[in-house]
Amino acid sequence: MSKILELKNIKKKFQNKDIHQGVSFSLYKGETIGLLGYSGAGKSVLLRSIIGLEEIDEGEILFQNLRIDHLKENELNKLRQKISYSFQNAALFDSMNVFENIAFPLIEHTQLPEEDIEKKVDQVLDLVGLREAKYLMPSDLSGGMQKRVGFARAIILTPDIILYDEPTAGLDPLNIEIILKLMNDFKQQGLSGIFVTHDIPAAKKVCDRLLILKDGRIHFSGTPKEFDESQDHYIKTFSLNS
Amino acid sequence: MITQLLKQRFETIGKITELFIQFTNSCFSKPFYLDRVFEQVVRLGIGSLSISLVIGIVTGMVMTLQFGYGLEKFGGTLYVPAIVSMSIMRELGPIFTSLLIAGRVGSGISAEIGAMNVTQQIDALRALGTSPIRVLVVPRVLATVISLPLLAMLSTFSGILGGLVIAQTEFNIPPGFYLNKVFSSLSYSDIFGSMFKCVFFALIITLLACYKGFHTKEGTKGVGNTTIWVVVNSSIIILISDFFLTKFLILLF
Repeated sequence: MSKILELKNIKKKFQNKDIHQGVSFSLYKGETIGLLGYSGAGKSVLLRSIIGLEEIDEGEILFQNLRIDHLKENELNKLRQKISYSFQNAALFDSMNVFENIAFPLIEHTQLPEEDIEKKVDQVLDLVGLREAKYLMPSDLSGGMQKRVGFARAIILTPDIILYDEPTAGLDPLNIEIILKLMNDFKQQGLSGIFVTHDIPAAKKVCDRLLILKDGRIHFSGTPKEFDESQDHYIKTFSLNS
Repeated sequence: MITQLLKQRFETIGKITELFIQFTNSCFSKPFYLDRVFEQVVRLGIGSLSISLVIGIVTGMVMTLQFGYGLEKFGGTLYVPAIVSMSIMRELGPIFTSLLIAGRVGSGISAEIGAMNVTQQIDALRALGTSPIRVLVVPRVLATVISLPLLAMLSTFSGILGGLVIAQTEFNIPPGFYLNKVFSSLSYSDIFGSMFKCVFFALIITLLACYKGFHTKEGTKGVGNTTIWVVVNSSIIILISDFFLTKFLILLF
């Protein structure tokens, strides 16, 4: 498998507090990795840094072997069509209905005629099982449905990587299963992903590898099996507490 | 303490200037969102029509009453049309309409963008590869720059008409004489000056509103604080800058 994304020695400070002190890892094509750690460990900041929503202080981020950490905003906008982000709270545009939310990236970045946009939106709505919610407003949707619409919006431009920021947080078990099934479906279609979560069982169901972020560095990297078999005291405690 | 406060003020001015530069750059490069500008003109401009009309009529009526009874003592009632029309056209029309728009539109824009910011919708726009400046700032600023001078003109002319009604009913000034005096006292430079002020005030209101919206923190409480900050600061800047603009326009014409 070829590397699609690589982070090298990422360092980031917030008001003199070290968030990342040299984070390095690679994401391979078609792979989904789980990024775990306690609250405040800097997991979401790392995802935001990858697509340039946060600037890193030091280090390199490479996408398909090209550095992307110092791109200008207009160059980042092109990159963001290849790496999409699924927000923890879905972050749907509350003045637009479901169709308009999902169609937004297509209207912004493609010259597709209206019929084709409608067809593509219908396809992704079928994929996330929300065809009947097409003309509802975000406020009319449950938390799980909002996250599925967020997924649909994130994949409409067929990106190479999707960054999942706590997609199962605050959901009931049934909705968690729906979300995890969707993530596995995306993986089957060849999409690479980084899954930020506290939910170890959920991560094990989707991820090929698990990474534990501790004190601003990657403390552990291995398969779910290696994670379960690890004798590391921190991993054992983290596993019990999560 | 004072140096820190000054530093913060200068930082804010710097960031607003940066926002203005980004806005200007976005106005002259693709993609353009003309439909969004039109949508905002309807929402912000046409939505403010009725209140601009009311404020204009009432101002004209009150001004005519005050000047009429004030000047009557000196036998100067005939000067009322000229005084009322010049003060409304040059000062009261643009100032009152701008203060009204600072309250109605400035608070609306800052609350909307602020709420989008605290719910990560601004981040979502950026994450989807779209510039929030192009999508949110440019349409709102342009719409206000287009609407505010027109609203001020509407307010001014409705004020003059309000004055006409009071001049006739209270002081027996014939409408023909009133209008003749109005047209002979006003010049194109008055109209230009009034519109120029409104364009400047529109930029102040919208840039402050957008800047503060983008920097809103602390959830719904933060959104409330943002709207207060925008209305207070844009009103103060409008009133202070009006003096300097007036001085500049007097020198110019």
